[in-house]
Amino acid sequence: MKDQIVIKRPIPGLVWLTIKGTGRDNTVHDGLAAELETVCSGINLDTDVRAVIISGPEGKPFCKTADTSKKKPSPSLAGPVAGLCCPVIAALNGNLSGRALELALACDIRVASRTARFSFPGITKGTIPTDGGTQRLPRLVGKAKALELLLTGEAVDAAEALRIGLVNRLVKKADLYTVVLEMGKEMAAKATLSLQYCKEAVLKGLDMTLEQGLRLEGDLYYLLHTTEDRTEGIIAFREKRNPVFKGK
Amino acid sequence: MNGFETIIYEKNGPVARITLNRPQVLNIYNVRMRDELFEALGSVKQDNEVRVLLMTGAGEKAFCAGADLSEFLSAPSPTIARFVRWRRDIWGLFLSLPQPVIAALHGYVFGSGIEMAMCCDIRVAADNCIFGLPEVSLGIIPAAGATQTVPRVIGPGRTLDMFLTGRRVGAEEALQMGLVNRVVPRAGLLPAAEALTEKIAGFDQKAVRIIKQAVIRGIELPLEEGLKLERRLVA
Repeated sequence: MKDQIVIKRPIPGLVWLTIKGTGRDNTVHDGLAAELETVCSGINLDTDVRAVIISGPEGKPFCKTADTSKKKPSPSLAGPVAGLCCPVIAALNGNLSGRALELALACDIRVASRTARFSFPGITKGTIPTDGGTQRLPRLVGKAKALELLLTGEAVDAAEALRIGLVNRLVKKADLYTVVLEMGKEMAAKATLSLQYCKEAVLKGLDMTLEQGLRLEGDLYYLLHTTEDRTEGIIAFREKRNPVFKGK
Repeated sequence: MNGFETIIYEKNGPVARITLNRPQVLNIYNVRMRDELFEALGSVKQDNEVRVLLMTGAGEKAFCAGADLSEFLSAPSPTIARFVRWRRDIWGLFLSLPQPVIAALHGYVFGSGIEMAMCCDIRVAADNCIFGLPEVSLGIIPAAGATQTVPRVIGPGRTLDMFLTGRRVGAEEALQMGLVNRVVPRAGLLPAAEALTEKIAGFDQKAVRIIKQAVIRGIELPLEEGLKLERRLVA
């Protein structure tokens, strides 16, 4: 039941979390929640981390959550990931259904293989999503499409998922890990606090009025004025060279 | 209203037009442009003759390729920069205009360029537009409202994909995302934007202003309150 997450650091600044379940479906058990909690808290304390990738094992589905028919909600998988300060890229393959999809919705950028499929089948069994699905899905794809997915339980294919904004990019299944690694490397070359504050301004700002959000953006922006990375970024641009960010 | 150096302000009957006018440097935004825009937008806001505002960029290459980074390290201190930001709240003023604002976009629309376009209500883009927000690669974040205005239009997923990677987006993808409303051939940009501007200027002005208010204020409210606002504005 333990060790369902494999942690790798392909390059400095980039953490790759592989969800390692069992069987062809990459089935995971509830223990994953506690493990994610520990791993994500650790990442938030590690100032060297600039970006995170989450995926299933190469060539396998993202993950499938074990079917629990318990009355009370299972421990949250999405919560710990949504609590990460740095950008999170999800590499999505196979069927993403129910809680696995809710976990993917807690990530910031979703890259999917062309054969991936997405669904919330809970309604067909008399249940509803309890790990953020009813909240994060409409914020991403709008009310009408969210209700269509949640109320019919039907799956959408990758092309439709791209069209409605459920995923950001589609790639060939064989290229999925290369593409997300490339994206992760590019992100890890950017300034740690700019990435974090940008994410915070967008996500926290959406829960505020526009006016309050603009204040948040301004405050984070002026806080960045105190960082070494901001000075480096602007000088590097003027000298037409790549900046070397230190995360300070 | 003459004597501007970085913008051109024109009024033709009910239509006002602001042209960003630093074509030799891709219309990049600087402190001077901020002050001139502040003056021009302030006058549009007070001017009941103006029914619609059109924003456009001079020259062939860009609507606006971002901010003038040569001014970026000269701010006296973060606390003073913050004080000035709210003392002269250009973006708040822009977003508070009672008239609809149409943006005619072409070429490079980067950084502050996108942010200005997002302060407008309807965006018409030439097919040669390239959009991008390079801020996080420079150790900063967008700060002319884009972290707030963009996700309210295209949602958080697409916004973070653009902001956190800094990738460039062409006109067709921008249309597909909802970042712009219409895409037209480059040669047809101004005619299309002007036709749209004149069409809206021809409608009942009170109705036009009420619709803008109801939509942009209503979206900040719970539905119930938004419905009340709609009724109150019409009454």
